[in-house]
Amino acid sequence: MSTYEELVGDMVDVLLGDDPDEVVTWAESVLEGGVAAVDFFNKVFTPAMAQIGDKFAALDIFLPELIDSAERAQAISKDVLEPIFEAEDSGAQISRGTIVICTVQGDLHDIGKNMVSLMLQVNGFDVIDMGINVPPRLALDKAKEVDADILGLSALMTTSQPYMKECVELRDGFGMKDQFAIIVGGAPITAEYTAQIGADAFGKSAVEAVEKCFALMEER
Amino acid sequence: MNHRPRLVEVLYRAETGPIIEEAAFERTLVTPTIRAAVEHYGIKFDEETAVNSDDDLADRVFQAGFDVARDVGLFCQDTSRRIVWTQKELEAGLRYCPSEVTFGLGVDTVTLRTRTPEDTNRVGIVGGAYGVPVPEEMYVPLALSYLKEPIFDSVDNPSLETVYGHPIKAGTAWEVLGARREAELALLAAGMVGRSGIPLGCVEMSPTQLGALAGASWGGYRPSDWHHVSTLSEFKVNHDTLSIATHIARIGGALEAYYNPIYGGYVGGAEGVAVAIVAGLILINQTYVAQVYNTRPNHPFYNCDTTRELIWATGLGIQALARNTNLITETLVGPAGGPGTKTMLYENAAFTLATTVSGQSAMTASHSAGGAVPRHASGLDAKICGETVHASSGKTRGEANEIVNRLIALYESDLETNPKGQPFEEVYDQDTIEPTPEWQGLYDEVREEVIGMGLPMDRMVW
Repeated sequence: MSTYEELVGDMVDVLLGDDPDEVVTWAESVLEGGVAAVDFFNKVFTPAMAQIGDKFAALDIFLPELIDSAERAQAISKDVLEPIFEAEDSGAQISRGTIVICTVQGDLHDIGKNMVSLMLQVNGFDVIDMGINVPPRLALDKAKEVDADILGLSALMTTSQPYMKECVELRDGFGMKDQFAIIVGGAPITAEYTAQIGADAFGKSAVEAVEKCFALMEER
Repeated sequence: MNHRPRLVEVLYRAETGPIIEEAAFERTLVTPTIRAAVEHYGIKFDEETAVNSDDDLADRVFQAGFDVARDVGLFCQDTSRRIVWTQKELEAGLRYCPSEVTFGLGVDTVTLRTRTPEDTNRVGIVGGAYGVPVPEEMYVPLALSYLKEPIFDSVDNPSLETVYGHPIKAGTAWEVLGARREAELALLAAGMVGRSGIPLGCVEMSPTQLGALAGASWGGYRPSDWHHVSTLSEFKVNHDTLSIATHIARIGGALEAYYNPIYGGYVGGAEGVAVAIVAGLILINQTYVAQVYNTRPNHPFYNCDTTRELIWATGLGIQALARNTNLITETLVGPAGGPGTKTMLYENAAFTLATTVSGQSAMTASHSAGGAVPRHASGLDAKICGETVHASSGKTRGEANEIVNRLIALYESDLETNPKGQPFEEVYDQDTIEPTPEWQGLYDEVREEVIGMGLPMDRMVW
């Protein structure tokens, strides 16, 4: 049997390979070979996804490959691991948390937000991406509806920053401060601005956003 | 030539073109089409070459970009439709594009003309803070730091953080008020230095059509100014941007359209960026019927366009267009470094030299510290670009390549350190609007270094 380290390398190859349908059969074959599902998730799946994230952070792979990897990982998760965990009633957690993410009202930029969304997905979060130009009330309602742990807000324009502030004010004003955290990011956003509007965290880059989301989940 | 009559057809196609989901547009059209074109035309980034001298490669990049423009088109976010054109239509669009344009009024006018690689004809120089957010009280002083420099033919503007003390909120009356206030302050600053007719960059950070239209209405910016319309990455437009293009066209304004591909995004790496620049500028010529076409690709983590890969890609894209079209092209330098750093000066000189010998018609500078850090911009940031433009006249691409490689070696390792430098108030005296001795001293040191590398910034004529 291959070592876990070898399996991590194999999974990275499969995630970045030419055949999108190979991932599920590959994962099934590993489990049939005697690797427990929980061990596969903790010692193969999670480190492999971290490697994918690292490769994108170093731009060894680009956004299309990151999207493909996230989708393939999702297929392993939904089609292979979740049915086993449910059948075993093991209580094993695949998701590290639920995050609603969007670009705020008045801003139509989406690539930065998409990068963060994908990096969160490959790091094990369930992500609901609401897209661009999202009014504060809609973002808050969605976070409430899906019982989100974190609401992620992106803005590339200074003129959209007021909608971030509005989002925080509405969350707190409606008494939802303890229900989910708010993380903000985007080119003009700073740690000072984050503190000024009362948001819970600031991600300077896609990589840092993931780190901050992990930290927010630790605090919850 | 004036291609504005096509605008009605553009608006019609935005309402009637093929329907597609936005995500599918990016993933099933943009990415695979660019990948296929890069492979088909054998386009390969060479780490040793910062400035391409291979004309055949430039022509292949043009063909690749043209194919992508024809096969992908632009996506209209509001109608979920593609605005597409046939090969013949795109060819006609390029054949009849403006090859000369005059901005400004009176003695402050500037004329830009199409150029070719290594062309010794004059290159326009636009200096400015390009949308860098500033407090209201700093707007005029920062604008003056550029307007006082005679080297700039045109001056672009920073963006107000607030208007009369209130945040400027996109899509609301605050955006309208902010744009009107910005125009007042920009015109005031130009008048203070006796350059009332200089073409002024208009409402740089207009998030919706409200700011741009309000700023370019009676009493605000003039038709002769430097109006902008953006494209969203990748290859996307919407009702706001089309409205801006339509308004500027119908007031007879001069329009600069821009497209900024994202390195490592849907277009891929350096090769994809070069092809995307060609495709994007062909498509915005067709769609926005503008006069000048700008690109400022972006590194997703350093927020700059001065990495080795992006300098190669930008120069190559400009060469491809300069050799095969009459488009009036320009680039905007976006250094990772900011005011008060040698890093930024090296970055700006390298990028400017590469794109000028590649055939651009104007250099626009500077998106200092990536263009988004409040108050991080100053006149000297862009002056180095102006001096580089003039000194590069007569240089071959091969000679430029050697100098650019030396400059890149001086700053490459700094890019990941967030070298944003100092805010405007720390590098310029706020009363005299002159650089501090420290900032001027750094500038002079770098200037001497660049002269030593073979770029004659100290000559009297060009």
